[in-house]
Parts: sequence; structure tokens; C-alpha cells
Amino acid sequence: MNIRITNRWLLYSLLLLILIIRFGIVFNSFHLLFLFTKLIFSNYSVALGQIDFGLFDYFLSSVLIIILPAVILFKRKSFSFLDSSVSFASFSAMILFISFVFAPLITNTNPEFQKNISVTKLLPPLSSVNAVYSLKNLEKTASYFILKEKVVKNSYNDRLVFADSIKKDSVITYYQKGRPYLLSSSVPFNLEKDYVITKKFFLLGTDEFGRDIFARLVYGARISVSVGILSILLTFILGSLLGFFAGYSGGIIDSFLSHISEMFLSFPVIFLIILIIALFGNSIFSIIIVLGFSGWMSLFKIVRSEIIALKGKDYFLTAKLLGVTNFNLIFSEMLPVISASVIVNLIFQFGNVILAESALSYLGLGTGSIYPSWGSMIQSGQSYITTAWWMILFPGLALFFTLFMTNSLGNIVKVMFNPRLKK
Amino acid sequence: MKRLLSSLIVLFLMVCFVFILLRISPGDPSLKFVSPELNPVLAQKVKDSFGLNRPIPEQFVQFISNIFSGNFGVSYDFRKPVTEVISNHLPFTIIFSLISFIIQLSVSYFLAIWSIKKMNGFVDRLLSKTSLVFYALPSFVIGVFLIFIFSEKLHLLPASGLSSYDVDSLSAGERYADYLLHMILPVITLSLGGIAVFYKYLRDNLDEIFNKMFILNLSAFGLSPKEITKKHVIPNAISPLISVAGVELGVLFSGALITEVIFGLPGMGRLTVNAILSRDYPLVVGCTFMSGLLIIICNLIADLLKAKIDKRLIRGMLN
Repeated sequence: MNIRITNRWLLYSLLLLILIIRFGIVFNSFHLLFLFTKLIFSNYSVALGQIDFGLFDYFLSSVLIIILPAVILFKRKSFSFLDSSVSFASFSAMILFISFVFAPLITNTNPEFQKNISVTKLLPPLSSVNAVYSLKNLEKTASYFILKEKVVKNSYNDRLVFADSIKKDSVITYYQKGRPYLLSSSVPFNLEKDYVITKKFFLLGTDEFGRDIFARLVYGARISVSVGILSILLTFILGSLLGFFAGYSGGIIDSFLSHISEMFLSFPVIFLIILIIALFGNSIFSIIIVLGFSGWMSLFKIVRSEIIALKGKDYFLTAKLLGVTNFNLIFSEMLPVISASVIVNLIFQFGNVILAESALSYLGLGTGSIYPSWGSMIQSGQSYITTAWWMILFPGLALFFTLFMTNSLGNIVKVMFNPRLKK
Repeated sequence: MKRLLSSLIVLFLMVCFVFILLRISPGDPSLKFVSPELNPVLAQKVKDSFGLNRPIPEQFVQFISNIFSGNFGVSYDFRKPVTEVISNHLPFTIIFSLISFIIQLSVSYFLAIWSIKKMNGFVDRLLSKTSLVFYALPSFVIGVFLIFIFSEKLHLLPASGLSSYDVDSLSAGERYADYLLHMILPVITLSLGGIAVFYKYLRDNLDEIFNKMFILNLSAFGLSPKEITKKHVIPNAISPLISVAGVELGVLFSGALITEVIFGLPGMGRLTVNAILSRDYPLVVGCTFMSGLLIIICNLIADLLKAKIDKRLIRGMLN
């Protein structure tokens, strides 16, 4: 018997794994969605004030984790690219995609969450910390808010206390760095009902502020991928439009644009990027725009040369003389021909953008101070290189696998479009 | 000649572009030198001395004439002429990148020749896979891992800086040994990625040429494989490599920014970035000009080398 593991089954099993592990969250999130919908109809203004990105994120990923497998199952034909065997590249790409979409479900921790830094900082991988979770006064609030607190993880939580050890007799005493603290002994409380003693598990350890590195890695994937996708979208629009104009019209526009692209190619782009970011601020949007603008040259050259080659082809001239409209000429005669090399170029460009974003974050110029980013994780880890190797190793590996994946994916697609390269 | 002229125009446009960017950006570099307690008249004088509140066209004309006379002004931060600041940083960068460049080229050349000897053999496959791995590793990850292994765990090599703190008390020989010791990790960090790129490029070129018909023809004439490789395959494979290498060397000369940051080295890359971050306008323009000039020179050298290998190119250049 010959069993071939296809990407389809890999995707199903990964999604199923998340669903099984985080079933409670998904269930609660659906319940919350139900309550939220009820709230919209009963009290519109309150519901409107409740909408934030975190809530929306949990809703979306919970809905998607049900819908996505169903769509892939019923639309087998359109997802036939998933039927190839699992390779290293496809596996990494899938992990990246899943981390991008289902980040809140995978980690179930806010990447910025920090509490009791003295206890949680610089913990090695696979370590766990004792925690007391207080449920006091929780039943007084509306059920919607109880549920919301259960589902959406904030960057700060009043009810959670981390401790080295916890002693529970008539009162709860917890120790942080050898110093005992009493947990609100003044108010009479029900020990069994009001406090839950749990353990918080850190799969890949914590950083210098006690933040979960696994959560930061997964959310960092989100930043990398979204910066990459939005930038190459911009590159695509800019490069193909300019290349198209230069190649199609020729003459002075062509030579002007070609000289401009030569100019950008002959200057080390990283300095230009740094210059622009330093002058105009390093918000995530300026980084996306700058990285998108800085990659248009190679795409411009490819599109321009393809269009120039295409202009002289017989079938194109025929179509033109037959009176095909310009719109149709572009979309049905030109785009299919140039799309192959454009897609290959964009895949490599995606890797370049991710690398550039992490390098900028490493230099302290990226989005690292606001969002978790692999580059800034490596940078902060460099100060703790003697004590905390896990702070560098995991983001470094994540970055490496992502770039490796992009390169092999680019090569695979290149061979797919151009079978002559395969020997 | 036409190429040289057009690259000079490109350089000029680049510097103008940087000038425009600097002037339209928000923020005033002279504010750093004016404290609120300063006498308003004096503060105005300081601001005037920067020449930033004159009309932009006038500044631009001044700027252009300064560039043509080779005068880039005075760095705001170093309080020295820009040319002097750059000439303090340039020698290190040139030496550093030349060493790395030579290592990149020679190692990748030998590896490519080695793997081409047994096409699709064990060595070839191993090297190809390894080169893919190093191609995907960002230099800052390599650098930090090297520091971790060789400085923190094995205590073999220093982690940062150009020399030990007691370098002045050492004798000349020990001093060079000290410099050498400090350069090992940065050079490896800078070279590994380049080796992977050059190796892959050269190997694919060699492979392609080996499959060409004229090689079959030559072996039909009875030339030994060794002779074919030496006299016909390698010269053909090397000439496209030269233009790639020229660009690479130019980029290296303008500063291996990440490597310099990891190891705290005083090169052009860090100088440029620090100038950008502290809004040292004259220095930014000077560094831009310098790196553009170096890139153009490297491309020119690459073109000349190519013409020396392939005489047919000379006619194309002259036209």
C-alpha cells in the first residue's frame, strides 16, 4: 500500500490539532459572538464601544477554523494545489500561514502580557510558573464581560499573580524571590471558590520582561507576513504599472524610467530605507510603504523587458490589428504572459521584504518597539546572550525557516512555470 | 564612456534626491544645538549658521556648487569637515570589505570547481543544500550565533570592537595579531552569505555551460575534460560573475551595516546610519556621495575586467 501524505491532510490535521487543544476557547468565543450579537440588538451603543481588534481577532479565527476546512473540503477543485506531497517548503509555508491566521488560538496568550517580572523573566524553555487566578467579584459583572475576559487575552490582567511557590492553608501565601506575600487576607473570602491555583506553562521560555516567547514568535509571524504581503502588493502595483508604461510607450518615458531604476539599483537600498524611516518615522505603515517602494526596480525591469518582447510578437500585433480594445489587450493578451515571471519575482521579493523588516527591527528602526518582531527579539536577546540563549535561537530559527521556505517556494514556482529548467 | 557619463548623472541625481528628502523631512537639526536658555539673538545666530532658513533654491545652488568643488561642509556631530570624517572611516571599510570580498570569491570559486568535478555527486549535493541554508540565514543571525559559540561558550575570540582595550601597550606584532583576532568573526559573518550567493551563481553557470553543444564538440575533438574545464568552461562562466561581483563589492564598500552593528566596528555603514539618525545633513550627503562613487568605480572596474576577458565587449562599450 502506498500512502502519500498530501498537503491537504497536513493542513486538516494541523487545524484539527488546534481545534482539539483550544476547543474551550473556540467554544467560548462562539458563545461570546452569540452574546455580542444579542448585545448589538439590545444595546447598540455599548456594543459599538466593545469592538476592538483583539475581540475581532478571536471571532475571526474561531469562525475561520470551522469554515476553512469546510471550504477546502467542498471546493476540492480550486484547492487542487494542496494535493501535492508534503515538502519542507510547503510545511513551513503552512505553519507560517496558520500562525498568521490563527495566532490568537495557537498561543492563547497576549504577546505583550507581563506580570510579576521578578518571577517570570528569562525563564528557560519548557518551564512553568505557579499562578493564582482570582475569580473574586467576577459574578457581579454581566455574563458578557465574564466571557470576554475568559476569551480575549489582554496585555494586563489584574486577577493573575505569578509566584515561585504558593502555600494554601487558611489564607493563600505566595512567594516571590523568597519574599512571602498574603493574598488579600483582610476581606473574608471563599478559598475554594474565589481562587484557582494553576500553572502557567512557557513552551519556549520568556524574555527579559517575562513575556512568552512562543506567543511573540507567533505574533511576530503575523507582523512579518503582513508587512511582506502589503509591501509586495505595493511593489507589484508600482513595478508592473511603471514597467508597463515604460515598455508599452517607449521613447522618452522609457529611458527616463530606466535611468531612475538604474539609479535606485546602484545605490545600497538599505541606506535609503533607513534614511526615509529616520526622517518620516517608523510606524508600520511607513515601513510597509518604504519597503514596497524600494523593491520596484527588479519587477520594473522584468515587466518592461517582457512587454517590449511581447510588442513585437505576431499574435499580439494580430490581436491589435483585429481591433481588440486596449483593456482586453492588457488583461487577456499581456497579463497571462508576464504573470509567470512576475509571480516568481514577487515570491523572492516577499523573502527580501521579510529579511529587510527583521533587519530594520534588529537595528531598532522597525516596528519592534510596538509589535513583537523577530528582528527586535534577536536584538534584545543579544544583551542576554550569556544567560538566555533561547531568546535568540527561536526567532533566529523562525526567520531562517521563513526565508528558506520563500526561496524554495520561489524555485519550485519558477520550475513550475518554466519546465525547461527541470532536468 | 557613455556608461561612465550616465553613472555620473545617476550619482548626481541620487545626491539631489537625498538633498530633497532631507529638506522636505520634518524636524530641524539645528534645534539640537540650541538650548531653551540661550539668548534668542544668539540662538538665531546659531540657526543662521546652519543656513537652513534660507530659501530652498538658494540652498540647492549652494549645495551643487559645493559638491562640484568637493566641499561637503562640516559635520554637525563630529565638528570636523565631512571629508575628514569620511577619510577616518573609509580605510577600515575598504580593508574589511576587500578581505571579505577576496574570501567570498576564492572560497566560492574553489567550492564550485570542487562540486562541478563530480556533478550531482555527494559533495555537489551537500554543498548545494548547504549554500541554500546559508543563503537563507540573515547575517545578524549568523553573527549572533558565532558570537554565542566562539565568544561566550568557547571563549576563543573577542565578541566586539576593533581591538582590545590594552592595544596601545602591545608590541607591533601582538597588535596586528590582536586586530586579526578581532576581525575573524566579522569577516566570517560578512562572507558566508556572499559565498553562498557566488557559489550558487558560479555552479549554475558552470553547469549550464557544460551542457552547451560546443563542449560536446570540443570533447569530440579529443580534448581532455581537464583542458576543456580550464580553457573553455571557466572563462565562459566567470564573465557574468564579474558584473555581479562588481555590484557586490560596491555595496560592501558602502558599508556592511549589519555586521558593523553586531560587532561594533567603525565602518562606513554605521557612520552613515548614525549620521542619518542624528540628522547630520552634510555627513549624510557626503556618505551618499562616497558610496555612490565607490559603487560606480567598482562597476567600472568590473566592466573593464569583462572587456579584458571578452574582447568583443570593447566595441559595444565605445559605442
